[in-house]
Amino acid sequence: MGWEVSESCVDSLLTEMVSMYCNRLYANKPELAASRIDAIGYQVGHQLSERYTMERPRFTDHLDAIKFICKDFWSELFKKQIDNLKTNHRGTFVLQDNRFRWVSRMSLDPSENGDLSQENAEAAENKAAQEPNMHLHFSCGVIKGALHNLGIACAVSADPSHLPACSFVVRIKP
Amino acid sequence: MIVCVAVVGHQNNPLYIQSFTDADDALKLRHIVHCSLDVVDERVNNPKKSGPTLNETFLGLLYPTENYKVYGYLTNTKVKFILVTTDLDVKDADVRNFFRRFHAAYVDAISNPFHEPGKKITSKTFAERVSTIVKSFGMSSTR
Repeated sequence: MGWEVSESCVDSLLTEMVSMYCNRLYANKPELAASRIDAIGYQVGHQLSERYTMERPRFTDHLDAIKFICKDFWSELFKKQIDNLKTNHRGTFVLQDNRFRWVSRMSLDPSENGDLSQENAEAAENKAAQEPNMHLHFSCGVIKGALHNLGIACAVSADPSHLPACSFVVRIKP
Repeated sequence: MIVCVAVVGHQNNPLYIQSFTDADDALKLRHIVHCSLDVVDERVNNPKKSGPTLNETFLGLLYPTENYKVYGYLTNTKVKFILVTTDLDVKDADVRNFFRRFHAAYVDAISNPFHEPGKKITSKTFAERVSTIVKSFGMSSTR
């Protein structure tokens, strides 16, 4: 029973969700907005991992589960796999995607922002800088929810320094 | 004939139990499901005995009681499906097929955004799909 959703719908939904949480619901509290968006991503990741592990045999260890995230889970979500996986063999993994789909269409240059007045320029720049980070909170939540459902407690953070390439750092809790 | 199906979460909390027979057996069936959880844990944690089927989701016949056979299935997310049946000659392929369809129905029920993970499954659609699967299991094995 497969339904199809247009990708631009998903992009618009994510953009609107981030905008609503940042600008209307938690306008002056970006940390609360971030944790709320993370929680939404967590539930989505939880449910998606249930669906995508359906036909597969069980995983034997953490590395298998991370590889599943890098290959099958990422292909189902973004039609491509993670480009690079690094680990320190002590519970930290870095997943690098060279062209992360959900931020690939975002404008990254704060000077392109429409608001030109002087006193609002700084606020606009701050908002523009925060926007990719907020989107990445959702993706981190998705990864965290998926791994938690597979039995791996972890913390996930994103590194947005070289957009549209994005790295997710997964730290497994001992 | 299937008498009971159950879905048990990864903390051994019941997510869905449905019996398809007279009410006075219901308590005994729940007791059987509860006991079978121990067998599931033992199968999963003792790799020496399982051998080649260590990573499979389908656990097979857990244990036969005097009237019933109990089959188990463990998903990747540590959710267990338990099937109790009174049939004496059940084909392995039929049970696997049943579990596959049951897993699909479970995944669809879980994907409901109004369903809270860890709480019982209250969806009527899921209950209807399960009774359809149970009915068709009976029909295909008595051919």
